[in-house]
Amino acid sequence: MNLKSIYPPHGIRIYWGPMLRIRFHGRGGQGVKTSSRILGRAAFLAGFLAQDSPIYGAERRGAPVVAFTRISDSVILERGFIFNPHIVVVMDESLIGDWLARPLEGLLRGGVALINTAQAGAPLEVSDSHVVVRLNITDEALKIIGRPVISAPAAASAAKITGLIRKKQVLEATVEELTELGLAEETVEKNLRLVSEVYDMTPHHSIKINEEPSRSLEVVDLRSDRVVFSDILEVGNAYLRKTGNWRVFTPVVDYGRCTGCMVCYVYCPDSAVKLDPDKKPVIDYENCKGCLICVLECPMRAITFVREAKAYA
Amino acid sequence: METRFKTLREFPLDEYLSPGATMCAGCGGMIVLRIFHKALGGNVVIVNAAGCLTLLQVYPYTPLKSSWMYTAFASAPAGAQGIRDALDILMEKGKLPQGEDLKVVVLTGDGAAYDIGLQSSSGAIERGLDFYYLVYDNEAYGNTGFQRSGATPFGSSTTTTPPTNLNPAGYSGMKKDLFEIWRSHNPPYLATIAPSHVVDMLRKIETASGFRGPKLFISLSPCPTGWGFDPSETIKLSRLAVECGVWPLKEAVYGKVRHTVVPKVLKPVEEYLRRQNRYAHLFTPTRQEEAINFIQEKVNEYWLKVSATEGHEVIKPINLAEKQTE
Ligand code: SF4
Ligand code: SF4
Ligand code: SF4
Repeated sequence: MNLKSIYPPHGIRIYWGPMLRIRFHGRGGQGVKTSSRILGRAAFLAGFLAQDSPIYGAERRGAPVVAFTRISDSVILERGFIFNPHIVVVMDESLIGDWLARPLEGLLRGGVALINTAQAGAPLEVSDSHVVVRLNITDEALKIIGRPVISAPAAASAAKITGLIRKKQVLEATVEELTELGLAEETVEKNLRLVSEVYDMTPHHSIKINEEPSRSLEVVDLRSDRVVFSDILEVGNAYLRKTGNWRVFTPVVDYGRCTGCMVCYVYCPDSAVKLDPDKKPVIDYENCKGCLICVLECPMRAITFVREAKAYA
Repeated sequence: METRFKTLREFPLDEYLSPGATMCAGCGGMIVLRIFHKALGGNVVIVNAAGCLTLLQVYPYTPLKSSWMYTAFASAPAGAQGIRDALDILMEKGKLPQGEDLKVVVLTGDGAAYDIGLQSSSGAIERGLDFYYLVYDNEAYGNTGFQRSGATPFGSSTTTTPPTNLNPAGYSGMKKDLFEIWRSHNPPYLATIAPSHVVDMLRKIETASGFRGPKLFISLSPCPTGWGFDPSETIKLSRLAVECGVWPLKEAVYGKVRHTVVPKVLKPVEEYLRRQNRYAHLFTPTRQEEAINFIQEKVNEYWLKVSATEGHEVIKPINLAEKQTE
């Protein structure tokens, strides 16, 4: 019996209908989370449903930070990381070569990379695979606000690129979000000027929503080079973790003695004992942790154990 | 009600927990959760307060085939209330077919149940919330390194109650009686279970499912890591806990208590204690007779009371005087 008959094949992808996925990359302190919120709120004001969330845990100042916004005209059931965005907003260009941040990873074909950069370069570069938009948001912020805070203008720029959101809605969202954060009226005013400026600076490029189910929910585990299925929407996917690697001793069933009483099946804490059609136990070695409860509990003493050294990938 | 479960032959075969969770090998709580879920079927939403089993889900992996919500330590029953209400409203509005209703299950360790979430569970029971509560009781804060909780029994050593010159027996207080605390709320169904006694567990869950309102389960959850025993002995220890009378298996329907497994002759508690490092100081370097006897006496007292009130055939407790003169 193989596992595939028990668990859904890796290939199944659930696609929830047209949706824009935007991923923000920046550094702690740049306002990455606020940016994703302003964009989400602006989309909401424009009549869409929106979802935004940052990744917590690495929000230390200066550390690479990621946040996500999803925009759709129907209910958004997807959660978690965005692996294949339509738009990536790179708020700090030094992140592009950052091995851990990998901001451009997974950008969809036809997707837009919006890069905040002080380097000279074509503001709009369209290639077969993607579009690069280069804007110098930081200098603009220094000019208007006097500090390199770019959460609102980055959101404004992304909003324009979606082709779905008007300037008015970004301005309104900026006021609401920044006021909620307790910013002084004067600072909010400056941000509005900046938003307006950057929205206008951003080139027109309405992107096409990819209606095809994307292979969006796979990532390559760099250590093993294995494609890891990372979709929380697949129930019971923990078996991909291969806890068999935890094991020091391996239980082995002697089918000559086994009566099929199911005791080992009942007591295995990790569902690592399956039953074949004759209700005989089959141990899932990729996941059995080797606790040996089955060895101790088998009334027929039909399970023994051996020392085994093998890696499951 | 005729029970579906008479022997292991009737053990439900549908699987709702896939392998690969990051619980310790041999975790007793996992055994209980897996069986509990099988008994309830697939239409379940689990509301999990902070504790060991929150590590079930470490994004992007989940072993569960049902839905799961994570709450802060104190608030799983409050979260359950929200989900229950939402489901009821959706069904009332015709937006959710009755057949897609979910059983709301609060899953917490003893830290949340006995200590930090005691208030919110009390409130939920008081409001008659229609839910299941499953406590996996490993008698300490296992997830953070085995600190004492309200469920820690007398004599257990934990990282916060190590045996010292002043307190050579380790923890000098008594385990809180959550069963009685909950029973005083008069819930429709309340039971203790143990991973070793599977048929007993299945029957109780079956009985509980006949009631609307709070259905509460406290499960002994032998913890190889915290208690200090070989992971293969999880079921063995659970069985010993029942046979020594340390973990009585009982149920209370609207407050009326009945013991479901009554040992005819109690095994000495020592057989249970000896196998765990958390009690090692009671035996080495010197045997702490007084502490061991105290634990035995408490167990004896309990069962004498049970046989008197429930009229069971004499349960023969260990006669300490006799034992000592032997
Ligand atoms: S416990 Fe032993 S006899 Fe029973 S099914 Fe498992 S291997 Fe066979
Ligand atoms: S050793 Fe433990 S995890 Fe492995 S099959 Fe036996 S009971 Fe299950
Ligand atoms: S510490 Fe104990 S209760 Fe927690 S996962 Fe490990 S064995 Fe289970």
